[in-house]
Amino acid sequence: MNKGYLCLVLHTHLPYVRHPEFEDFLEEDWLYEAITETYIPLINMMERLVADGVDFRLTFSLTPTLITMLEDPLLQERYLKHINKLIELAHREIERTSWQHDFQSLAVMYLNSFCKARDTFEKYNRNLVTAFKNMQDMGKIEIITCGATHGFFPLMDVCKESVRAQLKVAVSHYEAALGRKPQGIWLPECGYHPGHDELLKESGIRFFFTDSHGVLHGSPRPKYGVFAPVYCRGTGVACFARDLESSKQVWSSIEGYPGDYCYREFYRDIGFDLDFDYIKPYIHPDGIRINTGIKYYRITGSEDKKPYDMNLARETAASHAGNFMFNREKQVEYLADFMGKKPIIVSPYDAELFGHWWYEGPMWLEFLIRKIHFDQKSIKMITPSEYLYENPRNQVITPSLSSWGYKGYAEMWLQGTNDWLYRHLHKGSERMTELAKSYSHNHIDDLTRRALNQALRELLLAQSSDWAFILGSGTHTDYAVRRTKEHLLRFTRLYDEIKANSVDESWLSEIEYKDKIFPNIDYRVHQ
Amino acid sequence: MKKRLKTLKEGIKKIISRSTTKILTKGRSARKAVKSGFVRKAVSKAPVGVVSTPEATVKESKFYTGVQQQAKRSYEMPRDLPGGYGDCRIVLQVRDPWWNHTYWEVNESTINRLKSELGDSLYYNAKRVLRVYDVSHVVFDGTNAHRYFDIEVSEHATNWYIETAGPGRSWCVDIGLKLPDGRFILIARSNTVYSPLDGPSWITDEEWMVPEEMFARLYGMGFGLGKSSPVGKAWQERIKKALFSGILASPGMSSMSSPVRAPGGMAGARKFWLVVNTELIVYGATEPDAKVTVQGKDIKLKPDGTFSLRFFLPDGKQVIPVHATSADGIDEREITPIVTKETK
Repeated sequence: MNKGYLCLVLHTHLPYVRHPEFEDFLEEDWLYEAITETYIPLINMMERLVADGVDFRLTFSLTPTLITMLEDPLLQERYLKHINKLIELAHREIERTSWQHDFQSLAVMYLNSFCKARDTFEKYNRNLVTAFKNMQDMGKIEIITCGATHGFFPLMDVCKESVRAQLKVAVSHYEAALGRKPQGIWLPECGYHPGHDELLKESGIRFFFTDSHGVLHGSPRPKYGVFAPVYCRGTGVACFARDLESSKQVWSSIEGYPGDYCYREFYRDIGFDLDFDYIKPYIHPDGIRINTGIKYYRITGSEDKKPYDMNLARETAASHAGNFMFNREKQVEYLADFMGKKPIIVSPYDAELFGHWWYEGPMWLEFLIRKIHFDQKSIKMITPSEYLYENPRNQVITPSLSSWGYKGYAEMWLQGTNDWLYRHLHKGSERMTELAKSYSHNHIDDLTRRALNQALRELLLAQSSDWAFILGSGTHTDYAVRRTKEHLLRFTRLYDEIKANSVDESWLSEIEYKDKIFPNIDYRVHQ
Repeated sequence: MKKRLKTLKEGIKKIISRSTTKILTKGRSARKAVKSGFVRKAVSKAPVGVVSTPEATVKESKFYTGVQQQAKRSYEMPRDLPGGYGDCRIVLQVRDPWWNHTYWEVNESTINRLKSELGDSLYYNAKRVLRVYDVSHVVFDGTNAHRYFDIEVSEHATNWYIETAGPGRSWCVDIGLKLPDGRFILIARSNTVYSPLDGPSWITDEEWMVPEEMFARLYGMGFGLGKSSPVGKAWQERIKKALFSGILASPGMSSMSSPVRAPGGMAGARKFWLVVNTELIVYGATEPDAKVTVQGKDIKLKPDGTFSLRFFLPDGKQVIPVHATSADGIDEREITPIVTKETK
């Protein structure tokens, strides 16, 4: 009999980046890299576990923007082109490193993993959402939703209509993609503002997550700390809080596993290391050096990097998985005595941590799952829905405003570099509400309806917290500024044209083609 | 045969750090700063520098293609957003338990109205102020705040970070004019916000009572201690006491193995550097239908019968027999370049 539960949550998100107007677009690589390095390795891992009869539970928050991109034929086509290029490069690398055996074996490793990625991609008819859906239908994973475009809700509290639209659009998008209703949500950036649980309830969502202090600083005091969910006062929506101890072991590049010297170095890529003429066909067509994904070094611990050693990294991942499990067992055993009931340890991570940032992450996760299955009895993996089914009685509190960002609140998205956004975003929300109200009747011509729906798309796209995050972190800011402005300007023009009853159809068609997300959106949800 | 010697990086990349705020980079992020020439800047009106959390580092890595900010791209930046919307309004939002952020717009017509009501001389002698009200537990009607304080702002300011240092309290802010005689003329009033607590609530629930010490322990465990958590100082002390005085410090804390990286390995060191590698290109031509091997391995000829192979060239001697056989198997030729490389 187990003594407690482990709930691993993988927040799987990328903002909507799709530029049909360009032949090749740098930021689309975010998606292609994540597919090759994270999504496919995780899918392959789950397939192996199922094939070997290893039972497991994981919770994935597949965001609506990511699902849209994974299902998009243009991006699928481009991914195939991208992976084919990588396979070609890996072949050339095997030849080039003929006299350098340490590297040649790595080039072979990359070739194999790229070919495996392509096979997997084609096996699911290029639509990786199917793979996740299958796992959910088998009961191995629970897929939860997220804000439609990952807007940071606490800074949208003055325009709750937008929070509502983010939720309603997300829920109907989830249903269309996965054939059922979502039970839970990963609030974008784990950002909770008291009162938003009412909007969750309205959208049929039963649970969400907060960072530790969301519950620990809630009122009244939570009897079991973060080790049992609570219900929100007045709505009964359940709230699970993050356990920072288990988080820290995996996240932190200082004390955590990913910083181990045996693991692969993220910042040494042949896109930068090799001769320009040689690498040119595999980098950006404008001749800008970019990461290719082929990286030959381990972290090493000094600037004189040593070649990556697959076996050593694998052993390290196995021992880190053992360590993680041991610590969870001890944690759960201690807590079970202490609390007099079975604790739940909630450990959420960005999915892209596994594979993209921490190359050995998927391997570590697979070791962990297998060890939990075979080697111990104290912990059981569980999804939030299963937990609530087994433990329906929980304390009622009002959780606190919180996020999992820097310092735990809104600062990451609200500082000198990005605070200018909100004046425009809030104005957009206000105008969208005005439109939704004044066009709530049923006698609306097709063109106006299209314009209204597109206006909501543009507003939602501008709200992505990713743009504020990028501005806050100070990297890649041009693109974030450009995206925010573009969507807001398109929104404003639509607003003006709708009000003047003079929608420019050819321009509307053009932006429908560019910002092609949420085909079944209904602008009336923004109220 | 040609031999190429190239430095692998185009130039020396510098880390430029902005002087006003401390840049804190650790571990991988520090290496990142060196390798990619990234600048982590933190420009915030609030007196707190921006640092990176592990979560933020991972998130940044999602958006990291290796390209530097300055790289030229073939797209145009869209035009600017409007400076204002002709509104007269002020909005207040919570940044954290101690700070709020407000932005406002005062339109032309309001200014003209005030000028005509007050007269130019009074208007120009008035100070523009933010009046911040503590409106905890009241329905604010403009007169029933517990207290207020004023912040003088310039005529051109349009947003401000307000330190309330008031976790657990509610706030509302007016933008207005303060006249020399002390009168306050309201321009716009904000929404009300509630600053979250920076520690646990004092309210307990009879049905879900928990002894103080037990709670402190659970609380500390939930935070995994060391993390720079959003917890007030007083509480951190209490948790530490409860945890370390007790029978058992949190048992899961026995973090093994991960070597602790020497912090700031690069701090202080000078950043000049040089990398040199060598590659060897072996190329040639024969009849397009011939069979060619290089070091015993079959290679594919281009349609015109040429071939070109490129190898990383390590130190030492490389013997590279190139063998060609005609399509009918009758003629054979072999040429064997021998290349010795040494690095001094």
